Amino acid sequence: MISALGSLPFGATSHLTAGRAQMGTSLSFHLFFAVLGVGLPPMMLAAEGMHLRTGDPVWRALARRWSKVFAILFAVGAASGTIISFELGLLWPRFMAFAGGIIGLPFSLEGAAFFIEAIFVGIYLYGWDRLSPRTHWLSGIPIAIASAASAFFIVTANAWMNVPRGFKIVHGHVTHVNVLAAMFNPAWATETAHMVLGAYLATTFGVAAVYAVGMLRGRRDSYHRKAITVALAAAAILAPMQLAVGDLLGRTVAQHQPATLAAIEGVTHTESGAGLNLGGIELPGHATTFLNIKIPNLLSVLAYDKPNAPVRGLDTFPKADRTPLAWATRLAFIGMVGIGTGLIALGLWYWLRRRRNGPGPEDRFTLLALAGAGPAAFLANELGWLVTEFGRQPWVVYGVFRTSSAITTAPGLSATFTGFTLLYIVLSALTVWAVRRVSTGTPQLLATPTLRVA
Amino acid sequence: MSLPALIAIVLGLSLTVYAIFAGADFGAGILDLSARESPEQRIALAHTIGPLWEANHVWLIFSITITFSAFPTAFAALGVVMLAPLTLAVMAIVVRGVAFGLRAEPGGQARSQTLLSAAFGGASVVAPLLFGASAGALAQVSSSRRVSATPLSVPWTGLFASLVGLLAVALCAQLAASFMTWRLSRTGQSESAERFRRRGLQTGTVVLALGLLALLAGAWKAPALWHRLSTAALPLLVIWLLAMLASLYAFARRRYLLARASTMLVAGAIVWGWLIAQAPHLVGTRLTIHAAAATHAALTAFAIAGGVVLLAVLPAFYLLYVLFGRPTPEIAQ
Repeated sequence: MISALGSLPFGATSHLTAGRAQMGTSLSFHLFFAVLGVGLPPMMLAAEGMHLRTGDPVWRALARRWSKVFAILFAVGAASGTIISFELGLLWPRFMAFAGGIIGLPFSLEGAAFFIEAIFVGIYLYGWDRLSPRTHWLSGIPIAIASAASAFFIVTANAWMNVPRGFKIVHGHVTHVNVLAAMFNPAWATETAHMVLGAYLATTFGVAAVYAVGMLRGRRDSYHRKAITVALAAAAILAPMQLAVGDLLGRTVAQHQPATLAAIEGVTHTESGAGLNLGGIELPGHATTFLNIKIPNLLSVLAYDKPNAPVRGLDTFPKADRTPLAWATRLAFIGMVGIGTGLIALGLWYWLRRRRNGPGPEDRFTLLALAGAGPAAFLANELGWLVTEFGRQPWVVYGVFRTSSAITTAPGLSATFTGFTLLYIVLSALTVWAVRRVSTGTPQLLATPTLRVA
Repeated sequence: MSLPALIAIVLGLSLTVYAIFAGADFGAGILDLSARESPEQRIALAHTIGPLWEANHVWLIFSITITFSAFPTAFAALGVVMLAPLTLAVMAIVVRGVAFGLRAEPGGQARSQTLLSAAFGGASVVAPLLFGASAGALAQVSSSRRVSATPLSVPWTGLFASLVGLLAVALCAQLAASFMTWRLSRTGQSESAERFRRRGLQTGTVVLALGLLALLAGAWKAPALWHRLSTAALPLLVIWLLAMLASLYAFARRRYLLARASTMLVAGAIVWGWLIAQAPHLVGTRLTIHAAAATHAALTAFAIAGGVVLLAVLPAFYLLYVLFGRPTPEIAQ
């Protein structure tokens, strides 16, 4: 039935494109929920912890409200993560047959972290009235640790795809497997740190945005002020850290993925003392780039610590080994860095204008900027992931295994892609509906601690 | 015992726990579907699985992870030959999980709530149906002793597979009924327990009938599988039949703890009957546990990691079940 569907109305899409599109849709959908799954638990813990310390019921109301939103997001995130674990085998069986025995360790550990997270999510969400306030707060700590650990383990697997280590290929067979060397490949530290910080940063700005919109609609109460303060306090610490980690990750890419670096930085021809391109979008079929400002020698310094170090251009790589999506890689990279810079500037603006122990700036401009910063921060995460995936093409495992060799031989991917796309549209609409239902307005529960989750 | 065999047994245990506990969660969805006229039954079902189902679901992820880490080529083969049923099954899992997670008032009569209930219940039927049919078809093509030269194709819509799929649906419902009666009877809600007791008797009878039918269909359509079931897996078959009869007796006599234990044993016997019938083959007759295994170094690492995982996870599970196994304040009132 599926194969018959595949040949009828969707026949125009190629098999590989359909598979990649389905995986990309699934991952970008899941990434949104994964980011919030990592970022929200520390925010809930911070708010609930402030309630324990100060006794102020506003903090408890915030924590409970966030936990109700978290319950919905966790359900959708667990579901979309399950899709991905299936898709690894359903779409990329040959990749999994090759890589499963090398990179299974972080996936197994992620399974463990997900177990711990799911168990304590049950305890935390359903335990508000069953546990003492202090025990309840403590039961949230494993959630925060396990969700960050999940992100860590999964991203070490992605780092391995970028910088594969810990195995040899002899006569077409994988031998000499060292699962620890595979997991702790040269990119593990910078990539995982970049992802986890990105998740925290997006959540903090996402929370600030929600309450900035509330204030723009006239709800200027302490509930909204407190939420924005917590969020931007965290952002002020995280944003500069993310800048530094991003720089380190750039060096990792420069060292181990020269073709990817060239695509990311828009270096078409080899340059010694390469300048850093700000802007500069390469259009397919055009020799020159648009809207570029070049800062002399800066790229060589950033990538190799030497002002005159040569940076290989994209044209020095065989055509079959260059990403066909260089323009998209570059665009995504510019978007990510641009948004990151903007978020740092906004954090500085907020804290410089905040009076000592007084409220932060609440003018229309600041609130509008905060409202826009939330979605932008999530977009930056999605773009960063696109940089990794587009930039690595045509490889699924850089320099070792091509994406075109990984796709399934089973027919019908156009149909499954269409099916999943429709499913994601429905899930998105349902999630927005459900989150709006539990999170509109200032809660009335400040006096009535009987509301239950889900 | 060899390392691949040990890991295969761990995989079997993980699938068993998934079948029993997530099976009961699916069953709660199926019973929810049949409780349209009874909001209080829906609320009782939702309260019972609410804190637990996410954690139970992770056993599926854990099983998938074991398969692709320890038996990568078998995982790849499974993905190719089972694209359609597994794609539909994962969609059903997603729909039921999200519908349950978003349904705020299990007993609510608002349009949004009844739609979510329908999605939750409907998908709770589809997922075990497809998993059961896939397992049945896999057993059918993997139980022969002879290595087949033809490319593998899995008859998941065949007669035997369809009967196993229906068996899985009925079994899930019986598991849920046994969990509910035991739980409700302990909290003094004998009236509600009585309703689920009837469901337990009904679904248990269906499980018995479908099980016997599936055996007949196996003898007729899948001689290789029938041969294995009547030799190597015969003890499991006997255990299944005895546990089956014990569960019906226990439901009839209101021995709810016995009903719960024997229904769990029914599920375990079916899973292990399947696994032993096709052992040592994983997918088809070529990929045995040893032929599909990853390198020894990798398997050692996974075995150690798996042990650490279980050491960390099992106490947490115990805590979860102890905490929410007690009567809830809302229900007790």
